Amino acid sequence: MGSESSAADGGEPAGEPHVPEHRVCEPRKQVAIVQDPYDRWTSPNGTCVAEFYRDEDGFRLRFPHQADFLLKPNATPGKFAISAYPVPDCPPPSVQTLLANAIQPLIGNYTGGLFLHGSAVAITGEDGETIGATAFLGLSRGGKTTLAGAFAKAGHPFLTEDVIDLRLDRSRYVVQPKASKLRLFEDSARHLIGDDTRFPDANAKRDVEGGNAIPFAAQPVPLTRIFVLGTDRTAPLSIELLPPSAALSALLPHAFVLDVEDKPRLAGHFSRIADLIDAVGCHILDYPRTYDELPRVIETIIASITPT
Amino acid sequence: MNPSDTFAVSEEVVARRLGEEIVLLDLSSGVYFGLDAVGARVWELLSEKPRSLAQLAEHVEAEFSAPRATIEEDLRDLARVLRERDLIIIRPA
Repeated sequence: MGSESSAADGGEPAGEPHVPEHRVCEPRKQVAIVQDPYDRWTSPNGTCVAEFYRDEDGFRLRFPHQADFLLKPNATPGKFAISAYPVPDCPPPSVQTLLANAIQPLIGNYTGGLFLHGSAVAITGEDGETIGATAFLGLSRGGKTTLAGAFAKAGHPFLTEDVIDLRLDRSRYVVQPKASKLRLFEDSARHLIGDDTRFPDANAKRDVEGGNAIPFAAQPVPLTRIFVLGTDRTAPLSIELLPPSAALSALLPHAFVLDVEDKPRLAGHFSRIADLIDAVGCHILDYPRTYDELPRVIETIIASITPT
Repeated sequence: MNPSDTFAVSEEVVARRLGEEIVLLDLSSGVYFGLDAVGARVWELLSEKPRSLAQLAEHVEAEFSAPRATIEEDLRDLARVLRERDLIIIRPA
């Protein structure tokens, strides 16, 4: 079990992927695990995205065809020693992406943080002042990254594209800026940064660095609005404030829970999400998933947020 | 359900008031359930101590303006739904 590289959390400049301290071990094949997973993530099309197993006093997380992660509690409460075991030929960005977009938010929520699966943008007023952050929660491939990119293109910089890291600051929820990249399919990239954009594989996402065309917000921004993206991709444009119970049901599937059987932590997590709804509320956003529709979506959302 | 049965909240359930509603989470199943204003009040009463439908009806009648018969029928429906979801337990008299 060799240690090929390591990285430490804390102190990364905004714009760099935030990954917890870890070590990357020698690549190895994923052999079958004898026990049944206690939890599993599946994509909307039913594909297994991750499996969760207990491993002595810690956890083993398997991302099929990408990597296994072993999380061992260490002497510091709430901290884990993280070992990553990529499969042979797993490109290094996959491990870093999994650390940033899955392992960090899972551990963060396990230790009392508040991480949600979604994108966020910094809404900017006509005078150039930042009004507040707007978050978009949704299933994978639900349109949240493209929407964040479209907002950025319209002058409202993106804060994050996949993981919303919320911190309480003087009783306000503040969205932390994450990596200054959007993971896009070729057609979305063409819409956002130019018709001449070409990817080697049009069916695979690639990182697109923020810049003049799609600016990145490098400073934390207080959260003012949460939208959960509706799953009907042809529904007409509408925004509806959800009652609290519906809001809680809508938000909880977009949270990261490491141990669904740990009842005290589950109760704590439930309470933190409820606090968030109490403070910010939650709307459901439906819109047709066409590029032509995005300017109208942005205009409608801005109108719903901007004080009159 | 018998009229003399008492009802108690399940120890596996956490509840949170949000405005007029209360949202319940069953920690065993991960199921969420929302209660409206009257249901929320019933949950608070059951959280204080186990009560029968008749005792609950007395409180609800005193606090909400509705005919007693309607209240009792609504309470029976609510108790049945909560029981089916393992959110409350029945303690036979």
